[in-house]
Amino acid sequence: MKLCITSSGRDLDALADERFGRAEFFLIVDTDTLSVEAVMNTAQAAGQGAGIGAAQIIADKGADALLTGVVGPNAFQSLKEAGIIIYEGLSDNDTAREALEKFKKGGYREASAPSGGPGHGRGRGRW
Amino acid sequence: MVTAEKLPKEIITAIHRKDFKTPVIGVTGGKGGVGKTTVAVNLAEALAEMDYKVLLADADVDAPDAAILLGLPLENPVDVFIAMPLIDEEKCTSCGDCVHACRRNALFLPRGKVPILMGECNGCEACFMACPTGAIYRGERPVGKTYKTERGNLTLYTGEIIPGVEESAFVVNAVKMRAFKEAGAFDIVIIDTSPGTHCNVINALRGCDAVYAVTEPTPLGAHDLSRILDLVEFIGLNGSVVLNRSDLPGARDEIDAIAKRHNAAVTVDIPMDELLMKSCAEGIPVVGTYPEAESSKRFIKMAEDIAGECL
Repeated sequence: MKLCITSSGRDLDALADERFGRAEFFLIVDTDTLSVEAVMNTAQAAGQGAGIGAAQIIADKGADALLTGVVGPNAFQSLKEAGIIIYEGLSDNDTAREALEKFKKGGYREASAPSGGPGHGRGRGRW
Repeated sequence: MVTAEKLPKEIITAIHRKDFKTPVIGVTGGKGGVGKTTVAVNLAEALAEMDYKVLLADADVDAPDAAILLGLPLENPVDVFIAMPLIDEEKCTSCGDCVHACRRNALFLPRGKVPILMGECNGCEACFMACPTGAIYRGERPVGKTYKTERGNLTLYTGEIIPGVEESAFVVNAVKMRAFKEAGAFDIVIIDTSPGTHCNVINALRGCDAVYAVTEPTPLGAHDLSRILDLVEFIGLNGSVVLNRSDLPGARDEIDAIAKRHNAAVTVDIPMDELLMKSCAEGIPVVGTYPEAESSKRFIKMAEDIAGECL
């Protein structure tokens, strides 16, 4: 399975990033082989619709699931349309590797509804 | 920006192009709450009483209040629509060009499906142009209304954005277009802009022959006056200053210095006036109800000066 972990850096030793639309990087991890592809989040600086733009990036990368802190309604809807499973509860106190370990042990909940309201994706302007 | 730059001459000519001869006066001011609309409605009313046919356009569609100050109802509504993309699933090849063209990330393309309008579309139509197969056709959504109310010599054109909708620029432009289309039938056009120095103010000021920047002698009034005079200069117009609440103790010297720096004169000076405040509360311009008021005298003088210059 291809799991996308939102991260502040380019590898598994970087701290995770709780934000989705405004995350620095997406680490696309193959949970079987543990190979990692780091994708810069070019939607991060978008004035509008960062969550939708971010969802587009990881959908284009073929992610099957997303592990992040919180997902807002637009991003949630987009990810759902793309058939990407959403896991929430990522903490930016953990490294991406620690988060991955926790994920493998079933330590995160699958989100069935958006957690934040619009603009609650912790975009810089609103926080 | 202390010394304003200026747009190239051909752009200035292009943005102010219009197909009627009626003079257009802009009333603006940078800062909010300085009395732009008060000046605009009283100037309009004074000119109407001098028997000129006056077109007043309220281009502050986020907070249109000229109708309130004139005590006029909003009549003859016309809806303003903006474009939104509708996808033809037969023609769409899921190439994603529309998604990349959208600066607002409003479109989302799930793998193997067709794009979905997911976020907030602002009607820019870039996706229409980006689509290589003509799979996007034009939908519409309403963003506001324009109105036209005729009362004797004065006709008010105004517009109103639907609350919560962001695309006020389209409504400003619709008010301007409706007013300019009929401007030839009037002696003078007065345009009241929103506060600020943004696109909606620029669009409201397009086609003006002269601009009055209303301000007050406060530090913020001075600061924002400087900004608006920069803008007026930038778009190739001539500005002069209307100093409202002119007897407030404060930044008078600074106002004079800013005006001088922009080669703009402080042409009108309106002292604090209880009758003016009373008239605002009553919803009738002070020049109509209390012509003896000090503020009325200043507005009438302003109207006479404008009539002498361009009518």
